Amino acid sequence: MTTAEKTDGGAGRPPAAPGTAGRAAAGAAPRAASRIAAGLGGAAVRAVLLVVALFWLMPTVGLLLSSLRDSTDIASSGWWEVFTEPAQLTVSNYAELMANDAVTGSLLNTVLIAVPSTVLVVVIGALAGYAFAWMEFPGRDWLFLVVVGLLVVPIQVALVPVAKLFGGIGVFGDISGVVAFHVAFGLPFAVFLLRNFFAEIPRELLEAARLDGAGEIRLFATVVMPLGGPAIASLGIFQFLWVWNDMLVALIFADSGSAPVTVALQQQVRQFGANIDVLAPGAFVSMVIPLIVFFAFQRQFVTGVMAGAVK
Amino acid sequence: MWTGAEQESFTKVLDEFEKRTGAEVTFVPTGDSASTALGTKIEGGEPPDVAFLAQVGVMHQFAEKGWLKPVGDEATAQLEKNYGKGWRELGAYGGKQYGVYFKAANKSLIWYNTAAFETAGVTDEPKTWKEFLETAQTVSDSGTPAVSVGGADGWTLTDWFENVYLSQAGPEKYDQLAAHEIKWTDPSVKKALTTLGELFGKKDLVAGGASGALQTEFPKSVSQAFAEPPAAGMVFEGDFVAGVIAADTKAKVGEDAKVFPFPAVGADSPVVSGGDVAVALKDSEGARAMLTFLASTDAARIWAEQGGFVSPNKALDTGAYPDDVTRGIAEALIAAGDDFRFDMSDQAPAAFGGTKGAGEWKRLQDFLKNPDDVAGAQRALEADAAKAYGNG
Amino acid sequence: MGTPRRLAVLFLMPALVLLGALVVYPIGYTLVRSLFDAGGSEFVGLGNYAEVFTDPDILVAVRNNAIWVAVAPTVATALGLVFAVLTERISWGTAFKLVVFMPMAISMLAAGIIFRLVYEQDPDKGIANAVVVGVHDTFAEASAYPGARPRPDGVLKPSGDGAFTAASPARPGSPADLALVGLPAAQLPEDARDAARAPAGDGVSGTVWLDFKPGGGGEPGVVDPGEKGLPGMKVEAVSGGKVVAEATTAADGTFSFPAGSTPRDAVLRLPASNFTEQYAGVDWLGPTLVTPSIIGSYVWMWAGFAMVLIAAGLAGVPRELLEAARVDGANEWQVFRRVTVPLLAPVLVVVFVTLMINVLKIFDLIYIIAPGPTQADANVLALQLYLSSFGGGNDQGVGSAIGTLLLLLVLPVMFFNVRRIRREGRR
Repeated sequence: MTTAEKTDGGAGRPPAAPGTAGRAAAGAAPRAASRIAAGLGGAAVRAVLLVVALFWLMPTVGLLLSSLRDSTDIASSGWWEVFTEPAQLTVSNYAELMANDAVTGSLLNTVLIAVPSTVLVVVIGALAGYAFAWMEFPGRDWLFLVVVGLLVVPIQVALVPVAKLFGGIGVFGDISGVVAFHVAFGLPFAVFLLRNFFAEIPRELLEAARLDGAGEIRLFATVVMPLGGPAIASLGIFQFLWVWNDMLVALIFADSGSAPVTVALQQQVRQFGANIDVLAPGAFVSMVIPLIVFFAFQRQFVTGVMAGAVK
Repeated sequence: MWTGAEQESFTKVLDEFEKRTGAEVTFVPTGDSASTALGTKIEGGEPPDVAFLAQVGVMHQFAEKGWLKPVGDEATAQLEKNYGKGWRELGAYGGKQYGVYFKAANKSLIWYNTAAFETAGVTDEPKTWKEFLETAQTVSDSGTPAVSVGGADGWTLTDWFENVYLSQAGPEKYDQLAAHEIKWTDPSVKKALTTLGELFGKKDLVAGGASGALQTEFPKSVSQAFAEPPAAGMVFEGDFVAGVIAADTKAKVGEDAKVFPFPAVGADSPVVSGGDVAVALKDSEGARAMLTFLASTDAARIWAEQGGFVSPNKALDTGAYPDDVTRGIAEALIAAGDDFRFDMSDQAPAAFGGTKGAGEWKRLQDFLKNPDDVAGAQRALEADAAKAYGNG
Repeated sequence: MGTPRRLAVLFLMPALVLLGALVVYPIGYTLVRSLFDAGGSEFVGLGNYAEVFTDPDILVAVRNNAIWVAVAPTVATALGLVFAVLTERISWGTAFKLVVFMPMAISMLAAGIIFRLVYEQDPDKGIANAVVVGVHDTFAEASAYPGARPRPDGVLKPSGDGAFTAASPARPGSPADLALVGLPAAQLPEDARDAARAPAGDGVSGTVWLDFKPGGGGEPGVVDPGEKGLPGMKVEAVSGGKVVAEATTAADGTFSFPAGSTPRDAVLRLPASNFTEQYAGVDWLGPTLVTPSIIGSYVWMWAGFAMVLIAAGLAGVPRELLEAARVDGANEWQVFRRVTVPLLAPVLVVVFVTLMINVLKIFDLIYIIAPGPTQADANVLALQLYLSSFGGGNDQGVGSAIGTLLLLLVLPVMFFNVRRIRREGRR
């Protein structure tokens, strides 16, 4: 992941030390000599890219249009028929979906899982990240390396034991259990990212605050956290999308009352053909929030993803 | 468990229960991997109060592991009042009553599209396997693919096999194979698979051919047989087909869709039944109340009126069924008394008889794809069975 | 700095407790558990591992995992590289990147549903097959009578490759009755009229008709009233393996060859072109293609990730180097091959390794996209772990062995990460 950081610079560094030198150089060089040749090739490249973009959009458009047709239409023809018969478009699937308590309940569960998981990862990760960056204690470097090692542990390894553990302490099937699992597996990355980010804070800043009489806790809350804004935003968005989109963890640790929308939809997939009028709008509804977050916070998401490489 | 139309009907039953007891019930369909879903929850120590199991084998496994709680006195009283001995015993294990068979299924039925039969000039419902194949050939010649097979859902294939096997090899062998006392490499299995291959191996007779059938899920196998124009003249499965017809097609059961018993392969037509058993996973008041309610005639009537449902409750007035076809099936089931055989794959351990993409489901799907390889199918079945029954 | 040690403990405690209980402890538990049987009471040593490598179903998972790890990261990285380079000088490059990157924001479940739709077998419903069939049908003409066939006891016999050939040579003067069945009446061409027997002329003649009328009845093999002719059917006369003459049926199904155009030993044949089944497209989710198809959906999701990382790396490549190469007479491809790619190598490695780790854990896509009959063909370790541990058999011994295996596979990357951080730590 460190290579990724080097290439970007924005991922793990505070604004005081912008590392975007590479980007500044982009596009600066003149290339008059190859302009004509590039123009010819450029048209072909544009055409290819346009086709690729359409190709990439098509599956999603297909889902959207399918979700806007009623079940008999879906059963008899493909979604592209709406281009010739726009009258087929209807929101009835969505109306039915939203009238279904099980679905709306599962959407609420998704929120109840994703929001606390995100907040807790940020807070707990920041506390530990700060401790690793600026506090002295024996075994600090060694402990940090352990956390780095945990970055790549597949969650599958923990499914069976944690199911037993949660059963033992009675949080199996509870939202709190799902949240705890997500937080635990989000922490190595959070600690790693924030520790690197905090480590770049100029020492003078912290010293000055200490001289003013600020204790560690106040220092953390009023100086470190605000400075960490960009990294925290990346981390938060990354974690939020990760948890929102999770199915496997919830499949195992949630029960009927706490299942998020991914699990609720998954139960309908087995009769795919018969349930497509629920699945298509359901999938789309589940995508809306991630897509909004994605488009609103592209930059932070990209930095988060880049810092998260090799997770 | 139940999804779609069945889920809607069952919700009505639950509504009534809530109204009477004031309890709040959440219903969670688990798709076709009930044992997987439940296994997860139980391992974690947080099972639901009541679960429906489609497989006797799973019920036995759960009872053995001590996960099930007895139904309680009130439910037992209801059961004794309303249920025949055969159905009560299916819900018992080790001398204790654990389950209430709320929903029964007669899985020895062939449904047909009356218009397709008319077009083909078929007037007599076939009684034997030979007549059945001839009828299928005639329907196919008339231009309608003959038989719709929902091969994407492995359980429809196990039901095909069980009907042929029960009729051909007889109930005694059936029980032995169900208990894995004889092996799947037994000559009787070879004979049954070969017989089944007479249908599966004919591209003209199976709608869409084998590859089409393997992509057809059960609901589609029904709806395509009653679509306009029909993509098949006949479809095999239990009484619950009626529910799919009502929900997904414009056809009317009794007019556009009729039914005849599974043809006799040997001496007699088979009667294979299935059913969903409600069991308590928690020793709670609510769970017992629920089971008592499910064992009552009132609960059975609510779903019966919705259609797509047959109750093993002999106290239920058959007038509650919405149409003659269902009524006939229900009456036949009650009349059979204790003289039926329960779905074999549902008696098997879940890993063999009830897991998507594995065991008998998978092996019969492979057989449908390649019906010439009877011996290979037998070997694969036996290998899986030996492992699942743990008596290799 | 002298921060109180207690404070450090306070700051670290929540993270360490969670990591310890839910990540570190489970690793140990899984390692130990993998040595015990299904019930967890009996020590079986490496028995579970032996099962993983002998059980045919799990072996398929192992094989598929190898395919995934080899193919998916390679394709995604290659596409990402190409996209990143091509979009560099396009004014709407950012918009393009957004489109390709977007799938990363959605869940694997949603992507799975999306691709179940894409790969739908029926070309009238699945876009992939709609395209394939559309292209196919542009080059190959659809036939008029797909599915038509002779009765098993009729005059015509299948002669391979979908053609039907008469059993005995055709005689001039005795018209041939070529009966076909298996066509729905609704599928007949509009100009089809009631079938008639061909007049007995000097040449070979006959009738090709649908030997079945709605409601049944009539004699098999005989032209009965109410049965329709099959117009436009190609009829060949074949002698010594060669087509010697051709005819086409009329609206009433009759055909005739000019007198003397057919040798005495010529047999009549209805060539396969009459019956070619409507091309049904590719069996995307069938046993052979299911894994590649799902890998395709994965690439759809993750090529954007590779592209964005590589594009960021590309921005850091010094332009002067590229220009210098161009001035030296290198063409664009050479510049790409000799300068850009080597400079990007570190980024490419990171992207590739990230994807490899990600692919090892792939679960949702396969669980959602693979239909029942081919789930076993699409199986991978992460899915098998779930099925073994929580499905049917509830054998958590085998499940834990698979978990351990997955952990072993990421171990090199773990060491790699730790070593690098350690080196950087000593600045």
